Amino acid sequence: MSNINFYLLEYAKNYILRHKNKNIFIVIVFTLLVALLCTLFFVSTTVEYEMESRLENQPDIVVQNYKAGRLSTIKSGMVDKLLEIDGVSWATQRVYGKYRFSKEGASLNLVGVDPFEEQENPFIAKLLEKNQLNENDIFVSQHVKELMHKAYYDDYFNFIKPDGKLLRLNIAKSFDVGDRKYLEDLVLVNKDKLREIFGYKADEGSDIALGVANKNELAFIRTKIALMLPNAKVTSKDDLKVAYKNLFNYDSGVFLSVFIVAIFTFFIIIYDKANGLSSEEKREIGILKAVGWRVEDVLHAKFYEAFIISFFSFFVGFLLAFIYVFVLKAPYIGDIFMHDQLFDIKNFNLNVHLEFSYILLIFLLSVPVYIAATLIPSWRVATLDADEVMR
Amino acid sequence: MIRLENVSKIYDENIKALQDINLTFKEGELIVLKGVSGSGKSTILSLIAGLSKPTRGEVIVDGKKISKLPDHFASSYRRDNIGIVFQRYNLIPTLSVTENVLLPLFPLNLPRDEMNLKAQKVLKQFSIDHKAGVIVKNLSGGEQQRVAIARANINNPKIILADEPTANLDEKLSLEFIEILAEMKSHNRTIVVATHDPLFFDLDIVDRMITIEHGKML
Amino acid sequence: MRLFSLFLLSTLLLAVEIFAYPNYSDAIKEKKIYPLGKNIYEKRCSSIKPSNYNTFSALEDAIKNDAHCKKLQTKYQEALALYLWEKVRITKKDKKYPEIVVTHKDKCPVCGMFLYKYPRWVSMIEYSNGKKLYFDGLKDLFKYYFEDPKDIKGLFTRDYYTQETIALKDAYFVLGSDVYGPMGNELIAFKDKKSAQNFFFDHRGKKIVNFKEITKSMVYKLDE
Repeated sequence: MSNINFYLLEYAKNYILRHKNKNIFIVIVFTLLVALLCTLFFVSTTVEYEMESRLENQPDIVVQNYKAGRLSTIKSGMVDKLLEIDGVSWATQRVYGKYRFSKEGASLNLVGVDPFEEQENPFIAKLLEKNQLNENDIFVSQHVKELMHKAYYDDYFNFIKPDGKLLRLNIAKSFDVGDRKYLEDLVLVNKDKLREIFGYKADEGSDIALGVANKNELAFIRTKIALMLPNAKVTSKDDLKVAYKNLFNYDSGVFLSVFIVAIFTFFIIIYDKANGLSSEEKREIGILKAVGWRVEDVLHAKFYEAFIISFFSFFVGFLLAFIYVFVLKAPYIGDIFMHDQLFDIKNFNLNVHLEFSYILLIFLLSVPVYIAATLIPSWRVATLDADEVMR
Repeated sequence: MIRLENVSKIYDENIKALQDINLTFKEGELIVLKGVSGSGKSTILSLIAGLSKPTRGEVIVDGKKISKLPDHFASSYRRDNIGIVFQRYNLIPTLSVTENVLLPLFPLNLPRDEMNLKAQKVLKQFSIDHKAGVIVKNLSGGEQQRVAIARANINNPKIILADEPTANLDEKLSLEFIEILAEMKSHNRTIVVATHDPLFFDLDIVDRMITIEHGKML
Repeated sequence: MRLFSLFLLSTLLLAVEIFAYPNYSDAIKEKKIYPLGKNIYEKRCSSIKPSNYNTFSALEDAIKNDAHCKKLQTKYQEALALYLWEKVRITKKDKKYPEIVVTHKDKCPVCGMFLYKYPRWVSMIEYSNGKKLYFDGLKDLFKYYFEDPKDIKGLFTRDYYTQETIALKDAYFVLGSDVYGPMGNELIAFKDKKSAQNFFFDHRGKKIVNFKEITKSMVYKLDE
């Protein structure tokens, strides 16, 4: 490819403006298609990425106790039993749950913390590195602090226990959750105090989390525990991965159908364009041939024309999608990937995480195809005898 | 310098546009092809320009068999040797006068000053340089005519072909056109005009007049 | 009679002493109590020096009276005491070998596979001249070792269950189990006999051996 011929470029630009209406229509459709495809890709890859990183912080196995088919509490004695299993490197009884803060209609996410146990959640571990959580203290997120402030609680908070009595704890510190929106209702409480708030007995907890050093043994240990504790629900990280993947595949299926419709529409436009030029366009090519342009010169100019339109549309479409997804957080379309139990896309921080291969795919599916659809009929016309122009 | 030997042009459904044409034009001659629309005179022009190929026979220009040239070389030949003035001018209305005049040279990608120099020269020659930057659609009919002619001359072609140049013009503009023809002839260009305008039938500057009827010479 | 009651008293005292000593399994101590005790020691009660005390109960009392530690719950004090008494006081055989680390380019000299893909299986021979060779499993390591058992400084691998680095000469191996390594049938290594036995039952092993019992034909037999 020789240097850019600015004269031909100018001609192409002028040509586009001469057929303004038709080209504006093409640009709009093209842009919308690219925007739609990009949006779907952005949302799905970001959700996938977010899912994977959330899974990273999950414990290898979580054991929950069921009574009468319903989720119930688990006793601390279970921890020792589980530690006896070779391959289990650690096990802790966790205490956590929701607390209805009815004045604001909000739900607090209370997580129990033991001052001396190893903290497996990296975010909480980091918080506790610098500040000790004393027995009568709580740490709250910024958001929760504001909620409590609205209810006139600034230095302390009164939790209402199941028996109706109050438990006062000091709001010792507030922390910033950054862009982890799913942590914005987090409150850290001393484990034993939390048991009081929930009405748990001293040896009761929400579940038991454990870590397995050799992931090879994960499946085996999981089965072993399930056999050991018939009433328990044992979930391994692999199970979660599979569950998420299945959900994700379902969502992707929805997305795929929209994708196919979009591609189909696009190809209809291409087909229409490739099927021939109007007589006016044919005439113009005839004139160019008559003044001495060779076929390759005609195609050169047509290439610029097609490139300008398709590249411009692609770029604008990409930009629109980017803004829609990462700035506006994808209202409506993001709902395809929203699941109440697992994720709420508004709580997801749709971190900018672009998969280059997808962008390239959309680019290759649209721009070169459009350019080809423009060049082929032009080439056909340009190689015919151009004596019509004489008439 | 232009020779048509036993040239026939037959289109698909056995439409015989030309039959057994034999013509020779000398350099510097001004020839008028006389005939009504559809007589085949336009076909002769397009054959000379290399825009189409004869079904039978040869077209030879300056010793070269242009009827045998593949499209790429035919187009280069046309660019360097032929200037065409169309009946409807066929200018690009949204480009300026200079840009229109330089249109044949766009693919050459010459440096800007060289291009502008060429444009200047030819615009001046046809007295339209004062409107160099004006967008063509804003010009009068006569001015557009001169731009079309200037474009045909941009590359100093040996041959000028004009197809029904005065068909859409009033008498004044037609006479202006004939003046310009004379001017071009004085530069020793070979000019072939296809027309049925009677204004051409008794001109001194016309060296020869050939009548074409139903694709045959008379 | 007096002698008898004295005997009874002393056994009672002894019994009380023995029963007063917290009795946990090794697994629970290693996995739960020691880490807990360590955290407590580092965060609250660094002032207690276990070497200053002759008996466990003396240590316990010291903890109960210490300004920082007395406010702790009983379970924490117990964990601290056990940690200090059993782990810190006796800096015993707990030899910690460094983690076995490979780069993206390292390949097994026997089979040519890239080692970074199999972090759980990488094993190492260290030579007296400091050179280190890495393998994608003990089978390949032993194949190489039997060809050239000279100038060896040490042989290391990861304990299957805990993934810590262990020395092969102290380890126990299970052959013929249903757990396969990157090269198929493998010798699975354990830091002690008990975990080797547990694995043997869980995973239908055919044989448990220690380092001295391993022969060249035993290793090659795994490929059949």
